[in-house]
Amino acid sequence: MSSIPHDHVAGHGEGHEEHAHHPAGIMRWITTTNHKDIGTLYLWFSFTMFIVGGVMALTIRAELFQPGLQVVHPEFFNSMTTLHGLIMVFGALMPGAVGFANWMIPLQIGAPDMAFARMNNWSFWLLPPAAILLVTSLFVPGGAAAAGWTLYPPLTIQAGMGMDLTIFAIHIMGASSIMGSINIITTILNLRAPGMTLMKMPLFCWTWLITAYLLVAVMPVLAGAVTMLLTDRHFGTTFFNAAGGGDPVLFQHVFWFFGHPEVYIIIMPAFGIISEIIPTFSRKPLFGYASMVYAVAGIAVLSFLVWAHHMFTTGLPTAGLLFYMYATMLIAVPTGVKVFNWLATMWKGSLTFEAPMLFAIGFLFLFTIGGFTGLVCAIQPIDVQIQDTYYVVAHFHYVMVAGTLFAFFGGTYYWLPKWCGRMYDEKLAEIHFWLSFVFFNITFFPMHFLGLAGMPRRIPDYAQQFADWNMVASIGAFGFGFTQLLFFYTVVKCIRSGPSAPARPWEGGTTLEWTVPSPAPYHTFETPPIVK
Amino acid sequence: MDTNAPTKPDDPRRKSANLRTALVFASIAIVFFAGIIATKWIGGPTIGIGVMAGAVVLFLVFAIGRNLRK
Repeated sequence: MSSIPHDHVAGHGEGHEEHAHHPAGIMRWITTTNHKDIGTLYLWFSFTMFIVGGVMALTIRAELFQPGLQVVHPEFFNSMTTLHGLIMVFGALMPGAVGFANWMIPLQIGAPDMAFARMNNWSFWLLPPAAILLVTSLFVPGGAAAAGWTLYPPLTIQAGMGMDLTIFAIHIMGASSIMGSINIITTILNLRAPGMTLMKMPLFCWTWLITAYLLVAVMPVLAGAVTMLLTDRHFGTTFFNAAGGGDPVLFQHVFWFFGHPEVYIIIMPAFGIISEIIPTFSRKPLFGYASMVYAVAGIAVLSFLVWAHHMFTTGLPTAGLLFYMYATMLIAVPTGVKVFNWLATMWKGSLTFEAPMLFAIGFLFLFTIGGFTGLVCAIQPIDVQIQDTYYVVAHFHYVMVAGTLFAFFGGTYYWLPKWCGRMYDEKLAEIHFWLSFVFFNITFFPMHFLGLAGMPRRIPDYAQQFADWNMVASIGAFGFGFTQLLFFYTVVKCIRSGPSAPARPWEGGTTLEWTVPSPAPYHTFETPPIVK
Repeated sequence: MDTNAPTKPDDPRRKSANLRTALVFASIAIVFFAGIIATKWIGGPTIGIGVMAGAVVLFLVFAIGRNLRK
């Protein structure tokens, strides 16, 4: 349950002063084993990669502003689409979610830190070298990987050295993710405060626990797939090389066995954040806590059974098509439970609309659109028409951006007072929401029309009839991109000069993190609190 | 771990419980990584199922064996 009945919470206030000394300057950040420091590092890394990936998105949209080739060469355009996807998924969204987990899970379950503090440090510091590998692949002979973030052979077998750097980057990021997941699972299973049973945990912890299980199961599969790509490229194997008897379609099966759960890996922590924000600003407990937990678990299980809906045009047998179509549709049931419960939580609540709540409602509205277009894509006869068109691009951006990213923005505003001890500028945050909401829809809603009209994705040039909506989408993209500078300014302004925040800035906040002072002391819950 | 009794973070019992949990999940990750490559290397779903089954049996033997020792 999201609101924890802790009649007596002890152990959070004492002993902080004597433990507050820690290395200062750059060494603090390099050597830190503190979950709050590492959470901060993850969040800033995520934001940096979000900007890098965002610049790549704007390069794509600049080229697509009008038909013809104006800004970049087609090969570079393909590298941009590939790196944009990889950086946003592995560099921005996943580390962002881990940043929230590092900051909030120990605070929400009453643990003093993560279970493996040194491994936590290592998990983070693996990421910058991987990001550098990915970005510098642009400058090696042959350029960066240009086969799309899905890395399908045979293109990836034939590509230049940039592909090798990409493979190593994925290996490193995968290792980081697996270590982080094991840390999160161990922390949640073993370090919960006395009295905090699993079914009393805040939903954010539940969503992360299930996400971590998914990560442990699927990241090694991706690592295996790209390892086989590497051996195909350099060591004479022919796993996916048709010339030697291999099967490129097998790669697609293996990739999507990872790739589809990956979608839920990215969205489920966002579900958790939304499930914290909505009850707080509705001033009501989360409706249907147990059903929310079972719905998340149900989504996780189903996510392993639907991977081939990404491959409806590869010639699957009819029975396979039917199975994957119906199994995919089945995911709408637990997802619908979640949306219903969020709405029911708001129903007759004492609602206020601060920035976190605005982002949560924006999430609900837009994620539901993304979910419904996902159902459209799940219907195999329709998918055959819209496969690899801009309709699919619109669909997954409604899930990834309006879903996960909006939840991250909401979560940042929600917990920022706890993180830095200062309140953010509410007016600026609300402007950030409204500009993001409007520009997001200007960017991605027209892509539905483009896709239905037949515009393929991953092309630098297009037919004249797609020109108008592409121009609109590009204007929206630049608006959305520049709006995020306002987010950066709002956060920095809050950290540097915002008014002091109380321990519980939101009167509806009932979870354990609101029982510690703001900013959260360097060490918290050294004596575990008793949760009743 | 019993969550009803407060334990210190550096409690050896807690540390070994953490290590056990981590090792279980790390070995699952290794089985998945090696399993997918072995399946493709040797070919056929039988190998994949064999790797998974072997891993499950090993887990059971290890889990039961630990308790038998006590």
